[in-house]
Amino acid sequence: MTRVFGDPVEVRVTGGRPAGFAWRGRRYAVRRVLEHWVTTRDWWREREPDADEPGEREYWRVEAAANGGEPGVYELRHDSTTDAWTLSRLWD
Amino acid sequence: MHLHVASAYSMRFGAASPKALADRAAEFGMRTLALTDRDGLYGAVRHVRACAEAGIAPVLGADLALLPADQARPGGPGLERVVVLAEGKAGWTSLCRLVTAAHAAGERGQARITRAMVAEHSAGLVVLLGPSSDFGRAVTERERGRAVALLDAWRATGAEVAVEIVNHHGRGDGPRAARMLALAREAGVPAVLGNGVRYLEGADHPVAQVLDVARKLVPLHRRHLDDQTGHAYLKSEEEMRRSAALACGLDEADDLVAATKRLAERCVLDPGRDLGMGRAHLPDTGPEPHGQLLARCLQGLRGRGLERREGYEARLAHELDIIGRKGFASYFLTVADAAALIRDLGIRCAIRGSGAGSLVNFLLGIGDLDPLRHDLVMERFLADSRPGLPDIDLDVESARRLEAYEALFHRFGTDATACVSMMETYRARSAIRDVGGAMGLPPQEIDAIAKAFPHIRARQIRAALTDLPELRRSNLNNAQLNVIFRIAERLDGLPRHIALHPCGVILSNPTLRDRTPVEQSTAGFPMSQFDKDDVETMGLLKLDVIGVRMQSSMAHTVAEIERTTGERLDLAAVPRADEPTFEMIRSARTLGCFQIESPGQRELVAKLLPRTVDDLVVDISLFRPGPVGSDMVNPFLDARHGRRPAVFPHPDLEPVLRESQGIVVWHEQVLRVLDVMTGCGLSDAEGMRRRMSSDEGLQAVGTWFRERAHARGYDGPTVERVWRTLAAFGAFGFCKAHAASFALPTYQSAWLKRHHTAAFFAGVLSHDPGMYPKRVILDDARHFGVPILPLDVNHSQALWRVEDGGIRVALAEVRGISEVEVERIAGRRPYASLGDFWRRAHASRPTVERLVLAGAFDALYRDTPVGRRDLLCRVGALDRASSVRPSAGLVAGQLPLGDDLATPEPGMLEDVPLGELPPMAPSEIVEAELDILGMDVSRHVISFYGDLLRALGVVPARDLPDRGKGEEVLVAGVKVATQTPAVRSGQRVIFATLDDATGPVDLTFFESVQDRCAATVFGSWLLLARGRVHKPGFRAASLTASECWDLGVLDEAWREGGIGAVRRIMAASGPSSGGRPIGRRTTYSSGFAVSPYADVGHAGPQVRRGPPARLWHASQGSSGPTDP
Repeated sequence: MTRVFGDPVEVRVTGGRPAGFAWRGRRYAVRRVLEHWVTTRDWWREREPDADEPGEREYWRVEAAANGGEPGVYELRHDSTTDAWTLSRLWD
Repeated sequence: MHLHVASAYSMRFGAASPKALADRAAEFGMRTLALTDRDGLYGAVRHVRACAEAGIAPVLGADLALLPADQARPGGPGLERVVVLAEGKAGWTSLCRLVTAAHAAGERGQARITRAMVAEHSAGLVVLLGPSSDFGRAVTERERGRAVALLDAWRATGAEVAVEIVNHHGRGDGPRAARMLALAREAGVPAVLGNGVRYLEGADHPVAQVLDVARKLVPLHRRHLDDQTGHAYLKSEEEMRRSAALACGLDEADDLVAATKRLAERCVLDPGRDLGMGRAHLPDTGPEPHGQLLARCLQGLRGRGLERREGYEARLAHELDIIGRKGFASYFLTVADAAALIRDLGIRCAIRGSGAGSLVNFLLGIGDLDPLRHDLVMERFLADSRPGLPDIDLDVESARRLEAYEALFHRFGTDATACVSMMETYRARSAIRDVGGAMGLPPQEIDAIAKAFPHIRARQIRAALTDLPELRRSNLNNAQLNVIFRIAERLDGLPRHIALHPCGVILSNPTLRDRTPVEQSTAGFPMSQFDKDDVETMGLLKLDVIGVRMQSSMAHTVAEIERTTGERLDLAAVPRADEPTFEMIRSARTLGCFQIESPGQRELVAKLLPRTVDDLVVDISLFRPGPVGSDMVNPFLDARHGRRPAVFPHPDLEPVLRESQGIVVWHEQVLRVLDVMTGCGLSDAEGMRRRMSSDEGLQAVGTWFRERAHARGYDGPTVERVWRTLAAFGAFGFCKAHAASFALPTYQSAWLKRHHTAAFFAGVLSHDPGMYPKRVILDDARHFGVPILPLDVNHSQALWRVEDGGIRVALAEVRGISEVEVERIAGRRPYASLGDFWRRAHASRPTVERLVLAGAFDALYRDTPVGRRDLLCRVGALDRASSVRPSAGLVAGQLPLGDDLATPEPGMLEDVPLGELPPMAPSEIVEAELDILGMDVSRHVISFYGDLLRALGVVPARDLPDRGKGEEVLVAGVKVATQTPAVRSGQRVIFATLDDATGPVDLTFFESVQDRCAATVFGSWLLLARGRVHKPGFRAASLTASECWDLGVLDEAWREGGIGAVRRIMAASGPSSGGRPIGRRTTYSSGFAVSPYADVGHAGPQVRRGPPARLWHASQGSSGPTDP
């Protein structure tokens, strides 16, 4: 089933793509990038929109597993303006 | 290496200029760059120029939409598109013809292609099938069979085909790219990389998103955006490789990059060889064009009786020499042919601009101005040092301009002719409208915000908010609007839509369609997608056929003179030294005259006191920013009136500068001064003059001039003095040939005003050639003693006409009336009654109602109790009757014509009693006239404020010259013009003209008072102003204003609280904050400073359009102001 989170995660990036991340005290290794896409922010819906520094959101849907755990599908989101990573969804 | 790039010339789609794109590509170290704008080649020539400047090689193509195979897919993902690139000269020809065919196939403004059309023009074309192509869509939808079939179908067109791999990093982009590549590999079709570029860098994507929704006329929402990811920017090779690698793997990415570069190199176009730039493509004028030209010039010499006159043959030989060296004989023959064609239609036609300086033009009959008599030089027009084709401009009657176009198309052939286009670009108001719409603001609010701004550039929006007092006082400074303004500024200068250039016509040979894509203009003319600069770069002959309203106006005047008196007037033969005409000009009663009706010009003629046409040439030339900026006007006037002797910088220059009292006024004089002091010859002098328009050029020419002049023995101080004058003159000077060609219609219009006054006003009112609203001209007619005859269904014609020494209001003035209605009304007269008119003229109900309210039926019901209100009711009844029983009473001849006014009209279902409604008050009549005709015909609107103005001691315009210089007075009137021209100080000075029924009053508002005055000046229609009398000339007087008020507001206060209330409002206007400078001035090397707000249309609605809404706030039970 799908579960939706908004938890901040720490992500290790190598070669321009996520290689691993830490979430709720566990380390996950990325085995495969399943999908990658970006979207722009809906800047016009913001209270004080800043269309000069619009930034983008980058999504990585990856197959990853914690040490010794079962592999699952995780969706990681990167916000370019804040340089913050979020675990946005997971399927297990 | 980019093969798929849209610039801003993809209208409402691309956001970067060709130049910015080429520069960025060069920075990235790319060797080539393609421009493939949507639906056309609008930016192609600019791209080629930009690439040349950036040192890279241009590739050209177009992004074209496919004609939908089945229309039944509403809400689909939008049109399918392919990119078509041109390879070599054959490819360029095919591309031009394909784009032209695409525009001919779709509705206007909607270019569509089919595979059959590509097949028809396949030579040298490369078709790129990307994600938006039919093939790409089939791959997206995983319809493999259809995808393969489409690929085959494209290959069958005969054009080369390649698959374009794009990864914008949207959801599904990567896998789709991989599938497209796999299919291409399977089918053996080459694959290349593309990025569908729309803007320069990622941060520009909000602009593209706003353009997406502005194009679709929807508010911003993710589902309306073509750009979801912000990745449609000009990526570097490395970024392109990385995007490709993410989708297709590293090895494939390297392959794709290499294939892309190979195709790009192959498609590089050579501007000369492939595009035909750098050569002239003239119409075929038969064998031996130079011999023909010589023969026709000699014939002209004989025809004009100049055969053995001194100087003419030598000058002719000199000009023919240059023309021969340049190979332009066909050009002159063609233009002569065109001018003759226009004149043969009986259309008034005059040469303007530098072309008037050429004897050849005069002898060929292109122009009627003898350059030797006016001392004009040829080199300003055509010289060995001037690159490109010369420019000949013809002024024709504005009302018959399109007729002239049609004749030219007919004569030179539709294949060899096209109009020139121009790009309308985003400016402040249009940018605010589109961005405001995208952000979902209500339309009325957007309209109010946009109109609050003067007609400035979009990038000046936020600066204007702080600079301009009329905006500082508005409530436009808030956070939400700020976002709109910021994005609106980023739209600055982007093309919005293509329009017909107001005058340019290309005359060429049947290869024209191989050189330029053509689409249809709104008016139905074939129009090149190139603008005037592009056309010149492409070596095409562009003839400017300029519609001049004054020419139409004079033609109407001449026709009216003939109709009323039988006299056939030849304007060209009118004596040029008519004293009464000059006396009228000297007294500045020149409203409606060509070139000399503006407040500044009326002031100048009153000071200069012209006595000859040559004086008018000087007058027109002096009234330019240059002479004003370098303070030439006063020394000139002093010398002219003998207050001080003319000073010549050196005796050698006296012959050159004698006519202008020692000052430099004309380009021609710059040429001669340079020639006299350096001995460089006129041709090189013209080259130097043109270099002086840039700051670097000016420096270089200065160094050269000093060296050469010193070497020829001129002393240091003299050389410096002369150079200072020349430098100050800079780029602002005026071409004397141009002034001379303007002076003639100036004189002719003044002569007509003086001697055929009523016919003159009929012409001016019909064709509206000037800067003032028609009501000003109408008032001027009253001052000249011309009676104004009211609108009358039995007498008014389409245009104004002379009747018993007066002028009759034209039917065309009625708001909303159609040409067909005018024709029927005039053709079916006379009318015996309103009912008769209703049955036979078949005008729409709103038109009939407006005719009634404007008094067009008054004459029919004179001496009866029937008033306009009664007639208005009756229009309603007639309308209801004809809609209920369409056949009732409509058979002509069967019915009495309703002469018996007491009985109802036949066919009417209800009885409308007549003569019971109160007549309209004079104020209501004037209000109706202003609303319907846009002018106060029955009486001047200011007359309703007489009591208030007398109570305040307001000085009428007529009496202003009697007041002492510097005296403080009040004036009032209807605002008829506002201007913010460039002035010497670089201030934004507001000049406003009021009209108070006794004449115009000119007001000057300096920056120091604009804090409290600007908003009122721009926002009000009726004004009261306080100021000091300024006396610039011998008879003229104007006002340096310090305060002003909306007269309507004061009038209301007066009605409610008497004169005390009025004085309280006037006292409350408060002291000015002392005036901060408005905007940052640009200072030229001459010391001449220009305000960024000089010569921009002002804030608020157009002055010419008349009163904003209701004039009088009618309180209950009141019928407006009482009679004075």
